[in-house]
Amino acid sequence: MGKTYTRMGDGSVIELSESELKRDLEEGTRDAAERGRIPPLCEDELSYLFDIYSIPYRFVSVDRGNEVVLTYDAATLKIRRVGVLTHRIQSLQIYEKLLGADTLEFDHVDYSFKPVKPIIAYEQTELEQALLVTTIPMFYGAMPNLGSYTQPDGPCLNPMELLPMGKITEARAAQEEMVEHAVKDMVNVASAMYESGADGINFDTTGAAGDTDFLATLRAVEILRKKYPQMCIEVGMAGEFILGMHGELTYDGVRVAGLYPHKQVELVEKAGATIYGPAINTNTDESCPWNIARAATFTKACVENSHIPVHADMGMGVGGIPVVDQPPVDAVSRASKAMVEIARLDGL
Amino acid sequence: MGVGDPAGMASAHNTASGMGGMRTAGDLVARMQMSRGMKIKEAKEYVANKLKVSVSDLADPVVMNEMRDDLDIGMVSTSLFPGSAKGIEAKLRIAELLDIEINCVNKFRDKIGRALRA
Amino acid sequence: MDKEEILKEARKAIIDADKAKAEELAKRAIAEGVDPLEMINKGFRAGITEVGDLFGRGELFLPELILSAEAMKGAADILTAALPKGTKKRRGKIVIGTAQGDIHDIGKSMVVSFLQANGLEVYDLGRDIETQKFIDKAQEVNADIIGMSALLTTTMSGQKALIQELKKAGLREKYKVMVGGAPATQRWADRIGADAYGIDAADAAKKAMELLGEG
Repeated sequence: MGKTYTRMGDGSVIELSESELKRDLEEGTRDAAERGRIPPLCEDELSYLFDIYSIPYRFVSVDRGNEVVLTYDAATLKIRRVGVLTHRIQSLQIYEKLLGADTLEFDHVDYSFKPVKPIIAYEQTELEQALLVTTIPMFYGAMPNLGSYTQPDGPCLNPMELLPMGKITEARAAQEEMVEHAVKDMVNVASAMYESGADGINFDTTGAAGDTDFLATLRAVEILRKKYPQMCIEVGMAGEFILGMHGELTYDGVRVAGLYPHKQVELVEKAGATIYGPAINTNTDESCPWNIARAATFTKACVENSHIPVHADMGMGVGGIPVVDQPPVDAVSRASKAMVEIARLDGL
Repeated sequence: MGVGDPAGMASAHNTASGMGGMRTAGDLVARMQMSRGMKIKEAKEYVANKLKVSVSDLADPVVMNEMRDDLDIGMVSTSLFPGSAKGIEAKLRIAELLDIEINCVNKFRDKIGRALRA
Repeated sequence: MDKEEILKEARKAIIDADKAKAEELAKRAIAEGVDPLEMINKGFRAGITEVGDLFGRGELFLPELILSAEAMKGAADILTAALPKGTKKRRGKIVIGTAQGDIHDIGKSMVVSFLQANGLEVYDLGRDIETQKFIDKAQEVNADIIGMSALLTTTMSGQKALIQELKKAGLREKYKVMVGGAPATQRWADRIGADAYGIDAADAAKKAMELLGEG
């Protein structure tokens, strides 16, 4: 075998020899196994990944019959992101009719629950119009974004200013206050959008602000589940483990800081979510094969431990996708096939 | 999936591993995950059983386009089929076909019912 | 207690975030003639590196990291004061903040903690900071490094703008520029002409020390 053409996690092209490719796959799975205290991929799985990466085709795909549900987070933002000036409803139609979406997501350009609060009526009426003209299931999506509740952008003292000063008690109190504000906003916005007809609510990039972010989301999910037993609730993550910004917050007696996906999903299920979306960070200093072996190891353990559908986050910089604005199809298609077939995903 | 560059990510994932959305039965399988919390295997089997097709046909655009036409549950090329169900009408039929509740359909039904009674 | 034992205990005191113990060890090291610089680098700094690794794995959390950093600072202050005249190095200075329009300051604040733990004088401007303010502050405090964090693809252009503004002002050679944040990569740092990129908070501190010739 000649050298394999692949990429680094930042998208740069590299070539790996057979032994280098094997080594990267082995080291990637070992890294995940050590961090998550989960089993590494077995020989057969590593061999399957080896084949995916050594095949010279520019594009690869899953085997017939292995297709999974394809969802799109923040869909209404991404057409405008490339400078195509469509209305949000047109953007949704593009994803529905042109890009093979199995679900849609309606969202506000700020993509956080807090700023939607004062303009909720506008959001509701546009969502209602979108629901009349689209056929496939529609989420309303936003980020918990607990950082937006801290001064100067929010009402709470900023823990990120208090902590470096050693004011740990004050920082923790501020974080607990942030959780209360965020839960209220998430429940209010999600309720309004569900009352307007959305099929589901997607809490996207949960945990971005650490354990407070994750805890607030779990509490909001719990309230919404009691309020709307039929509502589809998806919890998508920001990163592979919950950063401990507070460090002592618990949900159902479990400390949330430091949890990896196979443990996160247990709490997400307990709170009452319908779908869980793990996000495994891409390391830009390592190769795509290293990153995929690692992401598949974490995600497989999570799928095996989950009773609800798992839709892995596979956008820029997560799930083995390089951290680059325009990810190349050789890298994306390999990540897609590998994650679906090795981790046994229910969707992306 | 988190989406960024639509051509690099959405289009690539769609071709590499997606079910196909309205071109196939992807949206129907997604509805079973969302409404009943089914994992992919169970959701596919449920939809295949309702449509009386094989599981592998669910992602076949030829078979499923004809099926969607026959069942009038919404198609991609609506301009070729004047009078075919679109949007909320298609969802009304999908709710009946899959025997599930669809939130906006229920709300639409309530409103129509109120209007007819008025 | 021999030197190796003191170094080992110093490392442990930082991991345990035991400030009193760290300061006591610093004093004992001086009394027993251990080289203060060796004590900082092989003892306390080794501890903070391990703390960073544990934090990066989700096994230790930010409040604990802050306490470890405080323990490190307390010990380092005692040891630095004991350095012979003429060998005392000026503490490196860094001005840091998030790019204009970016309110995401968690990553930046973690970097601040690691920088402080490594003995740097940190001027934290906070979040959503105008590019010119980074330069003004660096000029005011005679900084060595300017660091800019960006979480969003929409705000990372601020990092490029900072370097362009420094060039325009004829100050590019005066300051080292570091960049970081979720969408930033080494490739991006190279492309905009930054001097260093930190993949995470611990790496950022390591790169800052390297830029200061102390890595």
